Amino acid sequence: MKGKITILIFLFVSVFVSVLDAGKRKEIASPYIENTTPLKFIIPDGWPKPPTNIFSNNPLTEEGFQLGRKLFYDGRLSKDGNFACASCHQQFAAFATYDHDLSHGFHDQFTTRNAPPLFNLAWKKLYHWDGGINHIEVQALSPMTASNEMAENVDSVLLKLRKDTAYVRMFKSAFGSNLVNSQRMLKALAQFVGTLVSANSKYDKVKRGEDKFNSAEAHGYELFKANCAACHKEPLFTDNSFRNNGLTLNKYLKDYGRMRITGDPADSLKFIVPSLRNVSVTFPYMHDGRLYSLYKVVDHYTSGIQTGPTLDSVLRRPIVFSDAEKNDLVYFLHTLKDTSFLNNKRFAQP
Amino acid sequence: MNNFRIIKRLLTLLFFAAVFISFTKIKESPNSDSSIVKISFINTVKNSRIVLNDSVYTNPFEEKYTISKLRYYVTNVSLNNGSKSFMEKNSYHLIDESKEESQSFTFNVPAGNYNSIQFLLGVDSLHNVSGAQTGDLDPTKDMFWTWNSGYVMAKMEGNSPSSTLVNNKYEFHIGGYAGPYNVIKKVQLDFHNKGLEVAAGKTIEIMINADINTWWSDANDIKIAEHANITSPGKFALAISDNYAKMFSIEKIISE
Repeated sequence: MKGKITILIFLFVSVFVSVLDAGKRKEIASPYIENTTPLKFIIPDGWPKPPTNIFSNNPLTEEGFQLGRKLFYDGRLSKDGNFACASCHQQFAAFATYDHDLSHGFHDQFTTRNAPPLFNLAWKKLYHWDGGINHIEVQALSPMTASNEMAENVDSVLLKLRKDTAYVRMFKSAFGSNLVNSQRMLKALAQFVGTLVSANSKYDKVKRGEDKFNSAEAHGYELFKANCAACHKEPLFTDNSFRNNGLTLNKYLKDYGRMRITGDPADSLKFIVPSLRNVSVTFPYMHDGRLYSLYKVVDHYTSGIQTGPTLDSVLRRPIVFSDAEKNDLVYFLHTLKDTSFLNNKRFAQP
Repeated sequence: MNNFRIIKRLLTLLFFAAVFISFTKIKESPNSDSSIVKISFINTVKNSRIVLNDSVYTNPFEEKYTISKLRYYVTNVSLNNGSKSFMEKNSYHLIDESKEESQSFTFNVPAGNYNSIQFLLGVDSLHNVSGAQTGDLDPTKDMFWTWNSGYVMAKMEGNSPSSTLVNNKYEFHIGGYAGPYNVIKKVQLDFHNKGLEVAAGKTIEIMINADINTWWSDANDIKIAEHANITSPGKFALAISDNYAKMFSIEKIISE
């Protein structure tokens, strides 16, 4: 009984202390697992708090993160062993697929959408181009089981992991026992991808007073604020809303975006607004990768908009840029590249 | 400094209040005066127990069909008496016709008189949006949509000569936890006569019949010839859920 009281008091103290701490340091708190090394999720200065705490039921630990990292880079999560998460989500491309409109999956098949980059996911409530995924922990189920992606079933992934003593050891150190189940695997993956934070681009350094834009970049930033920031809202460079940005329906993929999830015709051709951070390395662009360069993207907004009943209202007035302005805007977009993120060894293949 | 001292004192007070409350709760927990209640589900068509694959059934539109897969979630189970109710903790059960052990479960119920059982047919909306779950909610149970997050609340598959799909298949994967196409159904079954008396030392079993032939009609007509494939949230899934919401009845209560 006495032991119980001590444990209870200890628990309350730690909860209160973490609440007090969180107030000071601006981080999101998660509960503690014994014999693990807790990790802190720090919110960059000047950034909003994430809309929900994606780690509220998934205590962030070094051990969980490292397990998630190993899983992310492991081809055994796919049916034939060839497709790790990392095969479509490459670090040097900000965890998108470099230079591919669509990615490759099991048996020489294409995916049906352009692989989105992975960073700052803790600020999102819905995942995928159509927002079909409602929690970061369940996202990995989708590529893992899709017949044109990793084409595997979760039970057989777990069988493979249980046969590997290195994995069993890592599950034990991350979660306290040898149990290898889907929940632990998914939570570990969420710890890895959920802590990929990119907040150290030239733009961020300028904002922190550590660097300066050159004149083209500064002019591009003004153009950006006037014409693009309504959807690509700073500092995340997305407002995570679903919008029809005036692309024609892809006649092969027949992808109506958000409507597939909601069944609502008002959502036809709407896709989630992607972040522009690291945009210079995530080409090609749009949900089907149809635009190959940033210039093509800018041209789309000045002269390629397809009107239609669900076209976003902010795109109903024309956007006009001179050639010189287009150059400056693209110069600015290059300042969103975060080299320290792209080269961070902690996120690389273990 | 002074402020900090006040906060410290408040926190100390809060600890003891919390410790006190947690112990009061433990004292209340039903150990001495309670009984184990078993709930079991029997899936039937026209009063005979379902035989997967081999038996041929006829729906109200004279369409013949077999059943190869039948699963549904029974969650948030409670026994009630007027405003009082006792809910099973962590109450998530996947009833699977192919797994006999899944068709019943037991829980400890405090002594007292109860006049109804309530449960959800489906997984509550919170657990559709709370990330990776385990137990009967584990996504490896093949009842979780990977492309449009959320649980398949009920699933029935089989064959029918009326189906125009490949191999004369029909597939119903009924889900949707929010908005106009929410298929989660609250079920209440009343105990007639004097109600159910739970007391220490008693063995109690509540046997619930599920009439699967309700899936096709009742609230809405679903003909296999027209709708053999309903596998995403929407109006047809909702239509079937309005039908199957009424499939349950109390078959028998054993109390000895």
